[in-house]
Amino acid sequence: MPEVMQEPQAPVLPGVVAVAFSTAYLIALLAVEMQPLVIGLLAFGIVAVLAAHYMDWLDPVSRSFAEREGVLSAYAILAACVVAAFFHDNHFVLLLFVTVLLYAVATLGLNIEFGYAGVLNFAGASFFGIGAYTSAVLNTYTAVPHLLVLLIGGTLAALIGSLLLLPVLRTRGHYAALVTIAFALLLKTFLEVNDVLGGPQGMQVKGMSILGWSFNDNFEIGKIEMSFYLNYFVTSMLLLCTTFVLVRRLERSWIGLNLDAIRLDETAASCFGLDIARWKITAFVLGNFVIGLAGALFGMVGGFVAPNNYTFADSLIMVSILLLGGIGNPWGVVVATFIVLVLPEKLQTIQEYRFLLYALIVIVVLLFRPEGLLPRPVRRYFPRGRA
Amino acid sequence: MSRIVRQLGLFFATALFVGALVVTAQAKDKVKVGFIGPLTGGVSVNGIGGRNSAELAVKLRNADAKATYEYELVVLDDECKPNVAVQVATKMAADKEIIAGATHYCSATAIATVDIYHKFGFPIIVWGAVLPDITYRNKYAEVHRVNGTMIDQNDVNAELISKLGFKTVAVIHDTTDYGKGHNAYFSKSLAKLGGKIVGTFGVTSDQQDFTAELTQVKALNPEVIYFGGLTPIGVRIRSQMDKLGIKAVFDGTSGIVSDAFIQGLGPLAEGALAFREGASTEKLPGGKFFLEKYAAQKYDNPPEAYGAFSYAAMDLILDSIEKVGPDRRKVIAELANVKDRDSIIGKITFDDHGQNTVALITKYVVQDAKFVEWEDSEYASGKRKLSGQK
Amino acid sequence: MDVGLLSQYIMNGLMLGMMYTLVAVGFTLFFGVLDIIKFSHGDVLTVGAFTGLATYIGLRSVGVSSTPLLLLAVLVVSILAMAALGMLIARYLVLPLRSAPALNTLLITLMLGTVLREMVRLFYPQGANPKPFPALLPTDSINLGQFNLRLDNAMMLATGVAIIVGLRLLLNRTKLGLAIRAVAQDEETARTMGINFTAVVLITFAIGSALAAIGGVMNGLYYNEINFGMGLLLGVIGFSAAIIGGLGSIYGAILGGFLFAALQTLGAVALPFASAYKDVFAFTVVIALMAWRPTGLIQEKISERV
Repeated sequence: MPEVMQEPQAPVLPGVVAVAFSTAYLIALLAVEMQPLVIGLLAFGIVAVLAAHYMDWLDPVSRSFAEREGVLSAYAILAACVVAAFFHDNHFVLLLFVTVLLYAVATLGLNIEFGYAGVLNFAGASFFGIGAYTSAVLNTYTAVPHLLVLLIGGTLAALIGSLLLLPVLRTRGHYAALVTIAFALLLKTFLEVNDVLGGPQGMQVKGMSILGWSFNDNFEIGKIEMSFYLNYFVTSMLLLCTTFVLVRRLERSWIGLNLDAIRLDETAASCFGLDIARWKITAFVLGNFVIGLAGALFGMVGGFVAPNNYTFADSLIMVSILLLGGIGNPWGVVVATFIVLVLPEKLQTIQEYRFLLYALIVIVVLLFRPEGLLPRPVRRYFPRGRA
Repeated sequence: MSRIVRQLGLFFATALFVGALVVTAQAKDKVKVGFIGPLTGGVSVNGIGGRNSAELAVKLRNADAKATYEYELVVLDDECKPNVAVQVATKMAADKEIIAGATHYCSATAIATVDIYHKFGFPIIVWGAVLPDITYRNKYAEVHRVNGTMIDQNDVNAELISKLGFKTVAVIHDTTDYGKGHNAYFSKSLAKLGGKIVGTFGVTSDQQDFTAELTQVKALNPEVIYFGGLTPIGVRIRSQMDKLGIKAVFDGTSGIVSDAFIQGLGPLAEGALAFREGASTEKLPGGKFFLEKYAAQKYDNPPEAYGAFSYAAMDLILDSIEKVGPDRRKVIAELANVKDRDSIIGKITFDDHGQNTVALITKYVVQDAKFVEWEDSEYASGKRKLSGQK
Repeated sequence: MDVGLLSQYIMNGLMLGMMYTLVAVGFTLFFGVLDIIKFSHGDVLTVGAFTGLATYIGLRSVGVSSTPLLLLAVLVVSILAMAALGMLIARYLVLPLRSAPALNTLLITLMLGTVLREMVRLFYPQGANPKPFPALLPTDSINLGQFNLRLDNAMMLATGVAIIVGLRLLLNRTKLGLAIRAVAQDEETARTMGINFTAVVLITFAIGSALAAIGGVMNGLYYNEINFGMGLLLGVIGFSAAIIGGLGSIYGAILGGFLFAALQTLGAVALPFASAYKDVFAFTVVIALMAWRPTGLIQEKISERV
């Protein structure tokens, strides 16, 4: 039996320090209002990252993340809770945070389709919308328990996505792109002209409530008033953690191996006996389920769904988040979602220009660093020190 | 201490320290009030006019030595889209520093956001949206409106059409609640007066090509085409009517009372009808004063049809804050008691749903590239005739 | 329904089809020559239309008022400007990425389309508002009962046909056309035969973008209005049309363009309860067609290197 050399495990400290700094930075960024302060803070952040890169401080950080992921994930969750606790009565910041978390979940779903299996999906926002509309309709017209509504939202998105399976499987490259683009446009127009689902006016969504605890009321712990968005924060955090773990496990399992094989070279993969159709279907359906799930929860958070929220342009935003963060890297997805969603909110002056900036950034990334900000690390076949 | 505890300690300390620094660095002095309107998109001239008017009210108040507080206006853009409106409304209402707001020109956005203002307890006064449901669907103490609703508008519209002898009308309306509301009220009013609606067509508010609908309309041969929607598609429909050779009268609502309508159509706008609640700005009680002060600020855009209402709404908000202080609940209580309050648009009284009654409806017709009041126009005196008028 | 109404519908369909075809032909040309899909084509159309409008406004403000001269100027300026834009895009964004995976090119051109669209919206004065486009063609019409034949529509249709025929002639009867077809068929062999690959690619992009410019101006003349978002839907429809017809084949692009317009008109007529569903109908048919014939009605001859 070949002996795998046991190297000492990478220390946790660099990762912890990185997480701590990021938390502090995030809290600062979310708290400031005045534009000059925001710009200063952003500049400081960019300079800090570049300086760390030059002084080779980033290498130990990525190594600790790669090897001690479990511990660092726990710290990341803790960090998120600290941020939420800090802003416990600030509705808008919490709403922004929850939006980021849910978009991250949806983009992780997209990652399964795009990053692992190589199935093009330019209708991510449409499936997000299907989930949202499901929770709108079910909450308004039925008394289905809300947790079940989330699952139904995901299932419905997966089911409707499977209508597209035949064209998606039979087409390659640009043709495949067209299928999902056409679907994105089709769905938006359908939602707009359909009066049953509210038409362009959209629908109100009743807030979530589990076992009588309504998520839409502010509550108090002792004398401290808490924003009702904290309820949604806890739920979204749970959803994100579950999805993250799922994606990680999927990637490391033989399923992930199969998906990677199919993405890299279909002909070779089928030569080795992999059933391409089966794996593509798995990735597509699973990805859409996750996206729909996130969409259903988001519908309840925002309390409102309208066709204009789920256009082709929004799908492109999800794709740009994926590309910016690094295709196939869940951490990259989370970081990129923060950047893409928080920055325009904070930098009011660029709110107008945000679509332009996203597109330019993606072009630059594709031209000069196609792997994204946090490239996907090479697959490690021999796990080290894993219990 | 164990490593873990040290790590944790370092962690929390950094986070809280930086946070505390940042928070104390910001000062909070002024009283903030808000304004929401469509600053971009097809109806932006109305939104910008409204914003300038609200800004004017705040500026004049800040220049007033007797004012107790200094005011800052927070402006957000709802793009006349319900989903964007919901986002900005949440943002404004969730910000505890903003006490009250003058909101919305587009009915589609106003109706989508009433629940949010109620959820956050944020008092608002609507300045331009005419859909009755905004104030009448729920009894929310937070929601008020200074301009009138579309019910009276459509009554007067139907009256004028019947008086001029037109019997057959085709209705084209946009599919937002605004257009659907107009369709509902106009159809009711016209039916009462014996007119006939030969066909009803719903179109999306950003539709480009109307040849399909207009070809069907042409086959129905109505004398009047009633349009329930906003200026951008009004312009398109009118010009495509001309392309297909449809000679019916173009009858619009307050949604097309805007310079953009005339600019977009040029000579084709001639003879179009429109209606609006309230007198023209010059004829309002405080109209001359408002127009003078507005002109003195040298804004790029005119106040447009609803600028005066926006000014009145903001003024009322500022009055309330002056009286009871910058507290949302007290402002809501104060606004509930508004009765016969003087303002530049006349006396304002909020009924139990927060709705002000504006009795007068002005009829307009486009004459020589301007909106002229019907009574003053050459169409009323008979010198010119509308298309198909006997 | 009577003949007049039917003719009116047919006329509507023909006009739409003509505009879609102009865009679809561009897509097909780009694909044939470089095997890439330039998604920003629709937005090049928008930029072309706005350039035309700007030219018009500029000329009017210096006092030019002769309509044929204005029309000519608008066309010439937008064609030249878009040809230049197309060449720039080819030179700096598309050619360098030939060795990258096709996905990257697709994404870059998609994002480029967004960049173009947003730049029009943000930097053209009041770009977010729809802008009236001047009526530069004679607006008289001949009324034949239910059918209203407008002179400008007829002229635009005739021009479109002329352009397509001209393009066919260019591709089949000239040396340049021969070079383009050679490069489309096999790049390496064409190079060995002494054809300047880069020049041919740039010229193809110029031609395609010029077609887009004409399409944009035509769109403006037809609707008497342009707005910054017009290119997005037209681009996707043009792309669908090119694909339905089969990428790489000009005939396919023409077929696809008119087929899509026919689907839309059919949807508008046959679904009387909501002619707004016509887009839904048309796109559903497109997706179904893709499932049936993955590479278009006129099949692309693909071979894969294993």
